[in-house]
Amino acid sequence: MINFAQTFIDALSLGSLYALAALGIGLLFGILRLINFAYGDLITLGAYALIIPSTEAVATLFIGGWPWFMVIIAVAVIVVAAALLSDLLVFRHIRRADPATLMIASFAVSFVIQNLILMFYGSRPKSVDLWSNLNYQIAMGGLRIPLLQIVTILATLVLMGGLTLLLKRTALGIQMRAAAEDFRMARYLGVRGNLVIGLAFAISGVLAAVASLLLLSQTGTLSQTLGVPLMLFAFIATVVGGMGSLIGAATGGFAVAFASVFLQAYLPDDLRPFRDSFVFGIVILMLLLRPSGLVPTKALVERV
Amino acid sequence: MLEVEDLAVSYGGTTALAGVAISVKEREAVCVVGPNGAGKSTLLAAIAGGVPPKRGRIRFDGKELVGMRAENIARLGISLVPEGRHVFGTLTVEENLFIGTYATSDRRYAQSDAEQLLGYFPRLKERWRQPAGRLSGGEQQMLVIARALMTRPRLVMVDEPSLGLAPKIVDTIYATLLALRAERGLTLLVNEQSSDRMLKFSERIYVLRNGRILLHGNTADLQDGEAITRAYFGFDEHHAPATSEAAA
Repeated sequence: MINFAQTFIDALSLGSLYALAALGIGLLFGILRLINFAYGDLITLGAYALIIPSTEAVATLFIGGWPWFMVIIAVAVIVVAAALLSDLLVFRHIRRADPATLMIASFAVSFVIQNLILMFYGSRPKSVDLWSNLNYQIAMGGLRIPLLQIVTILATLVLMGGLTLLLKRTALGIQMRAAAEDFRMARYLGVRGNLVIGLAFAISGVLAAVASLLLLSQTGTLSQTLGVPLMLFAFIATVVGGMGSLIGAATGGFAVAFASVFLQAYLPDDLRPFRDSFVFGIVILMLLLRPSGLVPTKALVERV
Repeated sequence: MLEVEDLAVSYGGTTALAGVAISVKEREAVCVVGPNGAGKSTLLAAIAGGVPPKRGRIRFDGKELVGMRAENIARLGISLVPEGRHVFGTLTVEENLFIGTYATSDRRYAQSDAEQLLGYFPRLKERWRQPAGRLSGGEQQMLVIARALMTRPRLVMVDEPSLGLAPKIVDTIYATLLALRAERGLTLLVNEQSSDRMLKFSERIYVLRNGRILLHGNTADLQDGEAITRAYFGFDEHHAPATSEAAA
């Protein structure tokens, strides 16, 4: 029972991280039909922003040494700026292109960001000590919960709550939801296309920034592909959840994390190295049974 | 008020409009009639900024609309109700109705405008907090017309309001459009496939076929419908369907 509870909390924490990234990807997909493979690199960029650019092997903290709330704000500003810049320089010019073109463009953006990081920071992975006191474990009735897991879950709850309030209660949020469902109709009603798209990029940037801080606190190592695995799992989460639905993206994030963590815990020892194969096997099965995801959206069906 | 000259639009290699000219005067009700695929929807979408023209001019109060963004055209006072209703299905009726007021009109009027429109469409009031996707087809059509009017437009363009709706509901919708036009001094530009309603509803008619205007005139002069029928089905067709239903 203790073992189960421990695994459950692990899954909840990993699911939070997946859900954050999946929401960022899902938001852009909902409004732009953009599958943004550069999203993982925005996460990487947020983590690298913490140190002074140099190709030396030892990382020197820059923003990372500031008080925690300043770190969050500064990293969020940098990642949001990068996300808006990617729109301004690339995606804005191919608004009318079909989703496949947009996706390939996002690969290009991804390579550019990765190589810029290589140029300024070098190719060697660097260890960074960000908020290591979060690794402190709280003992609770036989359970040992790292503080970082609690922070991850809470941060995700706060962001998801904030996003829900924004989308449901504010004029801008309602316009965003309308644009996600039927972009052209929203514009016929005066909704500014570039405004809602910019807002989507900005919110996805905030989510990426928080994800990058949580991820780096967990791994402690910077590399130019830091965010890529997270982005891949988050992308799978949006597919599982149902492309175009934000509730689906979050649900999918938790679903993929639970499958992964519980397989890790309960698979026989010899099969554990193949855990991801089992996860993806389940994903394929699920998509065969529910091709449009856990939370299908009408908007997508109409457009494709 | 609205002048369209030599408007041409193509999708890929297919020509949808091949040099169309129409004009609409302030407070007029004008109809564009034509068979399926004639280019009616493209005409309205091009005016609203939804599809880029290949050539031609579209002027509203003398201002060139070609090249303007759809949202800025909406802000000038042109509102399009596209074919197929396009409610935001996951948004509530209330959210759908107010969406246009966030961007375009003075929000002080939003509440009183909504009340006035709900007077015409009381069914929407009963469904106020429900997702618009759950409304019936007729209710959705009422919602999109009310939603378009919430932006306080001067020119309202409606694309095939009767498509897929029961005749009784269509009557209600046309009656409401006419009542609103009288009340607010609206200008109306409406697409239809069937011409009988048009004859009652509009002052002028354009017949569009294969991307060209084939006939244009005052509704009063076209009352017998013969010329419209001939233009609608093409002058050269020898076996034009003669059933009263199709021709009327």
